[in-house]
Amino acid sequence: MTISSPVLRNSMRLILPITLLYAMYAMLKGHNEPGGGFIGGMIFATAICTYRMSHGAAAQRRLMPVHPRILIFLGLGLALATSAIPLLLGQPFLRSAVGEFHLPFSSHPFHYASAMAFDLGVMLVVVGVAVGMITQLSEELE
Amino acid sequence: MTTSATVWLLLCVLAPAVLGCVTLGLPRRAITARTLIALLGPVAAFIILAQHLATYGAASIESPAATPEIQWIPLLNMNLSFLADGLGGFFGLLVSGIGILIVLYARGYFGRDEASLYRFYPTLGFFTTAMMGIVLADSMLITVLFWELTSISSFLLIGWDRDDRHAVKLAMQAFFTTGLGGMFLMGGVLMFGFATGGDDGLWRWSDVLAQGAARIDPTNPLIIWSFVLMLFGAATKSAQWPFHYWLPGAMAAPTPVSAYLHSATMVKAGVFLTGRMFPVFAALDLWGAIIIPLGAFTMVLAALIALNQHDLKRIFAYTTVSQLGLLMCMYGLGSLTYHGHANIEWDITQIANHAFYKAPLFIIAGALGHYISRDITQLNGAIRKQPWMVITMLLAGYALAAGPGTISFQAKELFLYAIYHAQESIGSWWMLLMAMAAITAVCNVAIFVRLLTTLMGWPGGMKPAAAHHHDDHAHGHAEHEHGPWAQLIWIPGLVLVSLQYVGGIAPGLWAHWFAPLETNMVGEIPSALHAFMHPTLPLYVSLIAIAGGVVVGMSALMRGAIVDVHDRIYPALYWLSVTGGGRAFRVIQTGRFRNYIVFVLLAFLGAYVASMVLDPAMMNWPLTESPFEFVPGILLGAIICASAILMPIVQSRVVRVIILGSCGFSVVGMYLLYQAPDLALTQLMFEIISVILFVLVLRMLPDLKETDRASGRWWRFSLGTMTGLAIGWLTLVAAQSGEEPRLGEFFARHSYTGTEATAGRGGGGNNIVNVILVDFRGFDTLGEITVLGIAALGVFSLFPRRKPAPTELEFDDALVRGAAL
Repeated sequence: MTISSPVLRNSMRLILPITLLYAMYAMLKGHNEPGGGFIGGMIFATAICTYRMSHGAAAQRRLMPVHPRILIFLGLGLALATSAIPLLLGQPFLRSAVGEFHLPFSSHPFHYASAMAFDLGVMLVVVGVAVGMITQLSEELE
Repeated sequence: MTTSATVWLLLCVLAPAVLGCVTLGLPRRAITARTLIALLGPVAAFIILAQHLATYGAASIESPAATPEIQWIPLLNMNLSFLADGLGGFFGLLVSGIGILIVLYARGYFGRDEASLYRFYPTLGFFTTAMMGIVLADSMLITVLFWELTSISSFLLIGWDRDDRHAVKLAMQAFFTTGLGGMFLMGGVLMFGFATGGDDGLWRWSDVLAQGAARIDPTNPLIIWSFVLMLFGAATKSAQWPFHYWLPGAMAAPTPVSAYLHSATMVKAGVFLTGRMFPVFAALDLWGAIIIPLGAFTMVLAALIALNQHDLKRIFAYTTVSQLGLLMCMYGLGSLTYHGHANIEWDITQIANHAFYKAPLFIIAGALGHYISRDITQLNGAIRKQPWMVITMLLAGYALAAGPGTISFQAKELFLYAIYHAQESIGSWWMLLMAMAAITAVCNVAIFVRLLTTLMGWPGGMKPAAAHHHDDHAHGHAEHEHGPWAQLIWIPGLVLVSLQYVGGIAPGLWAHWFAPLETNMVGEIPSALHAFMHPTLPLYVSLIAIAGGVVVGMSALMRGAIVDVHDRIYPALYWLSVTGGGRAFRVIQTGRFRNYIVFVLLAFLGAYVASMVLDPAMMNWPLTESPFEFVPGILLGAIICASAILMPIVQSRVVRVIILGSCGFSVVGMYLLYQAPDLALTQLMFEIISVILFVLVLRMLPDLKETDRASGRWWRFSLGTMTGLAIGWLTLVAAQSGEEPRLGEFFARHSYTGTEATAGRGGGGNNIVNVILVDFRGFDTLGEITVLGIAALGVFSLFPRRKPAPTELEFDDALVRGAAL
């Protein structure tokens, strides 16, 4: 699936970091602004797949040196752990902790919800699934 | 009682499994340490329970006192508390006490077989815990939970010999039968809970015992059905006809398992459950009408089959079934009255009686099988080879025959009295029951007489048949061990059977131990002496049975080995489901997506029509505002419609994917127009990835045949049109706002901060969509990502990974490096 267009290849070197960064941003800001783990994961996976098209399978494997299924396991594990930890604290399953804390050297309070870790798990799973399916199928074709 | 009592009893239940697992940490060679640690489990359980009973007393039925609850899953009415009343406490002591002996016996049985002991003790501990859980749990649902755990652990134990396909099949048979019963039990418990008032209903045995009689309406069909379902569970576990086939089949297990599960504990779980239900459900007319005939028939049938067997373990398995029938029948007769009393006396003694002789019989059967043979025709004169084992077996066999001097004799008298007294309620039917009991007793005595004459080598004993048939599927016997550990193969049997004679010779001592546990007793436990001094009809029946048994045992009648016809039930069912399932599979699973989709759409349309009939309001015209107000929306809608119509017309698959993509991107635009950036972003990314995936997959599909497409085209066209219209209509109906506030408004209000409706808790986020995803509906999301992960694993396993050839990789790398330069 390697498209040997120099334009795409070169522009991809610029697009990729920005897209990945935006994917992370979308995931982190998801609780308050458009975004979230699912969208972040999708953007991330799209960027990786486009990179694979422009630079080839080997380059993509170097960029993401873990097998996608590891990401799926990690993501599911993280989501499950986040859901189950409240049980240990005597709270219902999936109860999210909401609060604020102060970063050092900053007067601005930092708002957080523990559901974010759950969202990170969702993102990992989505990246793992999308990238995994696409790489597996295209390897089958090659 | 304080909460600490609950914690102690929880420890008591868990100790065997935990310590069984601890033995896994020991090196394989450390057999003695392994045995001692495994021994600690049931010992701890026994001591804790005995201490509990000594401190709090076995609560009587009038004031059933469960330990305080520890909340576990209050939403499902499953909380941790324990009820160690007479019945539960007795069974707990029985399970843990015999568990101690079985741990020791297993050491003697397996000898120095390290691999077997390594695997056996954890599994045995798991089973002991499951059994303790059944008998001590207060929450009915937790009883069901542990009930299923015994099915699972007994499956592991019956299929112990994993290389023996026959044994595995028999283990499946037992698991299927008892597991099915467990399902029925769960249904019964749930139905009972809801029939008595849902969340405020009776979900705890202690509440059932205390308030059951007042709160249950015996004519309520729900109550009657819940009783029938629970009884079904009890009948399968306790091997009542026609489900008794699994118990003789379970003899494929190693003998320690048979002695523990299939004589003393697990098969008694059904009797235990019947005993638990007895104080409440005995008021139902159905109680006696079902249980008495079922138990009595099982009792006679199994006794007759037992007489026609050669394998010692099978003989004792069928006598176990027979005795279980008797115990069920005893509870059935208990619903009748005699002079205003319930017609049941010393039921726990009657249950204990069976365990105290049947487990030793199995123990010695295993020991004899180990040293000589388990086939009774091969055992002629065995006393000269293994005197101690044979003496123990004969002592237990005498109890099987219910000879005077054993507690078994008194138990049988109590049972015969119950039949005799039943004539007050059931008229002359009691004579039939008495005859059935007499036939059973004749069979039991005959089996003992055969054992006696054969093992002693006396005339009249069984002789090897001309054609030598070795029926002893022994379990990998290593060479025989010597020394004190080896003697454990028969000593536990002697310990247990001695209790029989304590009860028989010193009934006062027995009463001292058992009277505090007994809940159903009016008079003293009868002594054998008393019975002979004041002869009544039951005594004459016993004497006739003994005489008849001696005659049958000595005669040449019924000396063959027959095959139980009921053994065919499970294989027949298995064959039916496999063959029928295969046929159905070939009809339904055509492997063509088109057919599957037709099924799905037809089901959807059927459900749609049904809901239309139920709620005619759905047929009202759903559009309240004009749809033609917003021009960009109309334009995008036109594109969506056009691409949807083009889809079936275009032939090439790739073009179709592109059209589908254009449809999707128009939907993205639609979302943007109606200010749903989240959905738009998600849809956009989803479209990109799905188009890539489609293009990849399409290249692997074979081409469609033109003839294939032509047939039934109009039919499919109309089905598609109808479904499309139905879904469109549904969408419009769903968008209608009714009287209730919209769900969206609720989420919008609670997205960041909560109100009273959510107990003051909000999601802590401003993005409603995301807060719904990860907080309000987090459980759904967890399920969805799990499904996603499984789907991806499916793709991975469909196309097993091939390692790319190194040359190719290097070439690829070189290409990329060149491009980078």
